[in-house]
Amino acid sequence: MRTLALIVFACGTGGGVHAAQGQVTATFEGGISAVRYDGFLTSAAAALTPAVQWQHPRGRGFLSARGTYLQFESGNRSLDGSANGSWFSPLARHWRGELGVSVGASDYANIASFSHGAVEARIHLMDDVRGGWLGATVGRASFGAGARPVTVLAMGLWVFHGEVTLFASADRSLVGDTAYSDLRSTARWRRARMLLEGTVGARVWSRGGGRGVYGEGTATWTLGRRTALLVSAGRYPTDAVSGSIAGRYVTAALRLGAVSPRIRATRALSINVHAGSSDDASSDRARLEIQSRSDDEVSLTVYAPGAAAVEISGDFTDWRPVQLSRQAVESDVWVGTFRIASGMHRINVRRDGGRWMAPAGTTRSNDDYDGDVGVFVLP
Amino acid sequence: MIIVALLLATQVAVQDPRLERLDPETRSSVIAIVDSAREMGLPSEPLVQRALEGATKGAAAPRIVAAVRRLAADLGTVRTVLGARASTPELEAAVAALRAGASVPVLASLRDARRGPLTMTLSVLADLVASGVPPDSAAAVVLALAPNARDVDLVEFRRAVERDIALGAPPAAAAAVRVNAGARPGTAASRP
Repeated sequence: MRTLALIVFACGTGGGVHAAQGQVTATFEGGISAVRYDGFLTSAAAALTPAVQWQHPRGRGFLSARGTYLQFESGNRSLDGSANGSWFSPLARHWRGELGVSVGASDYANIASFSHGAVEARIHLMDDVRGGWLGATVGRASFGAGARPVTVLAMGLWVFHGEVTLFASADRSLVGDTAYSDLRSTARWRRARMLLEGTVGARVWSRGGGRGVYGEGTATWTLGRRTALLVSAGRYPTDAVSGSIAGRYVTAALRLGAVSPRIRATRALSINVHAGSSDDASSDRARLEIQSRSDDEVSLTVYAPGAAAVEISGDFTDWRPVQLSRQAVESDVWVGTFRIASGMHRINVRRDGGRWMAPAGTTRSNDDYDGDVGVFVLP
Repeated sequence: MIIVALLLATQVAVQDPRLERLDPETRSSVIAIVDSAREMGLPSEPLVQRALEGATKGAAAPRIVAAVRRLAADLGTVRTVLGARASTPELEAAVAALRAGASVPVLASLRDARRGPLTMTLSVLADLVASGVPPDSAAAVVLALAPNARDVDLVEFRRAVERDIALGAPPAAAAAVRVNAGARPGTAASRP
């Protein structure tokens, strides 16, 4: 769908995009979803999605950013954000170049984090009602400390016919050891207050990215100048670039602000390298992230909202309490660097001189002393 | 000869300044356990650390001694299973798995199934059980992965299972789904 929006933008003919007028548009969506990720149970979720976009006055480019906050029925929360932008060269006869950048990151519950960054280049061949393009994307995607290279090669064709836009594409994505190809077709139809969009696709020649057919549909009903109702449903495939996993969804949402089509149910989930089961209330008050810096030097970051002092103690300190440094004034982030050998380690965190607890982000274990200890393994 | 070795070992332990944080009576008992363990070829550092942990947490002397003694016994058990060449991290991870509920035969099967270090395999097993996966199911899936999966694959697998559980999947089903989905090198995190 994003690709279709890009094509529309490149042509300067989209209903929601007016290439002759630069503008900043902002929308806010609130909705409810039922999501079933492959291999998971169905879960209901409430979603809040703010988005903002800036368009160049003469249609030479745009920048956009979008965030999604999800509250699952289990009580878990998910937060993700992404930003992308493209610059278009002036139309030279029927040719137009495009250079784009995209970044994104996500955080799920008390475990984190996925991120990606990529640059994209495309060349468009078009006239007023039809066109095609070739493109390539390179970048990096990472779970925790493990970054993987991203390469996507893609091509597409599109045609405008009255109020209908048809689009077809084929792409090959390579993300680390994962590789897959998608064949996809999208149709878009606008009539009065109603906008319908549908996509069908198939994933083939896949190694680690799943296979099969998928499809999504969205109906957008404009209620007022800055209000729209959206209903969306379908099945989408794994996206190894942004870190989302395949699933099915149904979403109903209300959009406020500038009205343009599209809503997608929540997809991105991410996890921490050292994700564990320390998820009780006390653990929520201190979340640990572990990052290897070099050799056996390891950076420990503790998120402790509202704490005035944070100490850690572990086998790598000979169980002597060590005060962490606040990252910035009034910050909830506390940091320290330690020499920690590979292997299994035990750690406790203490806020404001209170009791020692197992921080979230580690596996909680009985400590033999009527308390808990966090356990993590450094590869 | 044995007496000399024992004296030397005791001397080393006594000279460990870290143990001076323990009161004299506790220190004496801990040193005796450490010496005994070292005599059996077990690593002393985990035992010293367990004692220091107790001191930091203000545990009573009997609790510290009991914790160190229990750990020494568990280290002895897993060393018997994994063999004399097992590293300290492997032994610690095996103790964690044992305490989580993995049986001695499971540890032996993992030792036979996997070439190379067992630390990550054992810690993943312990984590799965800690996450609520029944020990037998956890053992089955880890044994299925152990022969061919790299350490990084095991970490990815554990992530995927924990994510499923966090989303509400029953732990045993989450583990089974992930292993059946083919958590093989480099693919677990991105598979549907």
